[in-house]
Amino acid sequence: MSNPIVVNIIRFVVLLLLQGLFLKRISDGWDGWFYVHVILYPLFILLLPLRTPRVAVLLLSFALGLGVDLFYGTLGIHTAATTFMGYARAYILNILEPREGYNVNYSPTAKRMGMAWFVRYAAVMMGLHLLAYYSVDAFSPVFILDILLKAAFSFLLSMALLIMATYIFNPQD
Amino acid sequence: MRGLLQLFATYGNFLLFLALEGIALFMAVQFNHRQRAIWGNSLGLAAASTEATVDRIGDYVGLREEVIRLQGANIALMEQLDNARYRNAIKRDTAFSEASEPLYTFIGANVVSNEVTSLSNTFRLDKGRLHGVEPGMGVIATEGIAGVVLAVSDHFSLVMSILHRESRIKAEIASSGYFGTLTWNGKSPRYLTLEAIPKHAALLEGDTVVTSGYSNLFPEGIMVGKVAEIALPAGENFYQVKVELVNDLSRLRYVYIVENQMREEHEQLDEVANE
Repeated sequence: MSNPIVVNIIRFVVLLLLQGLFLKRISDGWDGWFYVHVILYPLFILLLPLRTPRVAVLLLSFALGLGVDLFYGTLGIHTAATTFMGYARAYILNILEPREGYNVNYSPTAKRMGMAWFVRYAAVMMGLHLLAYYSVDAFSPVFILDILLKAAFSFLLSMALLIMATYIFNPQD
Repeated sequence: MRGLLQLFATYGNFLLFLALEGIALFMAVQFNHRQRAIWGNSLGLAAASTEATVDRIGDYVGLREEVIRLQGANIALMEQLDNARYRNAIKRDTAFSEASEPLYTFIGANVVSNEVTSLSNTFRLDKGRLHGVEPGMGVIATEGIAGVVLAVSDHFSLVMSILHRESRIKAEIASSGYFGTLTWNGKSPRYLTLEAIPKHAALLEGDTVVTSGYSNLFPEGIMVGKVAEIALPAGENFYQVKVELVNDLSRLRYVYIVENQMREEHEQLDEVANE
């Protein structure tokens, strides 16, 4: 399990299936009343090694989003949001860079960077992703209140799940 | 090619992002009912508003043509008016009302520059010698008189506004027929002074002042303004009448140049009179 490529491929598949087969059911449940999505798959983009080229990050984001869209039947919407988040990753990492800098051989995981840093990083990225997602979902600035409300609730649930997963698995890379 | 590669090296990530995002949004619009409906609707609204704007611009462009057409129509009507025709009939009440010939004709013109703030105001028109304009012709606007042509070039003419210290125009009180000379005191562009109305004339504030037709510059009965104030300086035999103009010369746009067809005859007679 030391090869980061293998690790990331497995993570990609597992998160995609988890999102598409399991987490989708949660948001579909309760006769559609419970419309808030629980989103975990962006964790894959979060945990990509720091030395991953930006082009690769973008293409992987696109592919991941497309995969989720195929499960959700909303072609293009998750793709747009994930691509946006993938593009933003480099800038966010730049802003959150610790004083001693990054070790580019690592992934930005909780184990490497510390829980507080990781939660901050994840919160910004998930926030961007959810805002982008619900914006493309609503597709009009008229629904701005709706967008913000859904993004906020979805953010709380998704972050809770993300932090839980981090505590349970706590991957090194 | 090299430049293109460099462009990709510098902005490759951003361009790739734009491309991927574009594909994603295209798919979102293409394959989702809601997004497709909103997109189509917005596109329709944008098209409608663009069309409306284009329409408005078209209207505005067409407006100039319309103004010229209307000027022509107005001129045709103005030339048929009684005060623009010379009557051959010896008695006014003979039945030969058609026994008249054109006395005044008009040339439509646009004001290309204007001023009202100096003591000797002039304005310029976009018609000149080539259109038959000559120095000494009168200029009227839709509401009332505007000035007298001072000089002409081939395509433009310079007009001495009635708001000019040296402007002297014959005018009369419409109700009584007493006539005097209109001058400007260089103060407000809304008021002229009518001088030389004799003391015995019956005069009221609000009386209409019109051109008299004595000067051969303007047809008689062209509106000038209303009597606003009557003053009789002590020991004088003539009123100083303040006339409020109907014509706002500070926003003059379209005017008519008055052409007197029998001007030469008057000039011949003037020469005799001046000898």
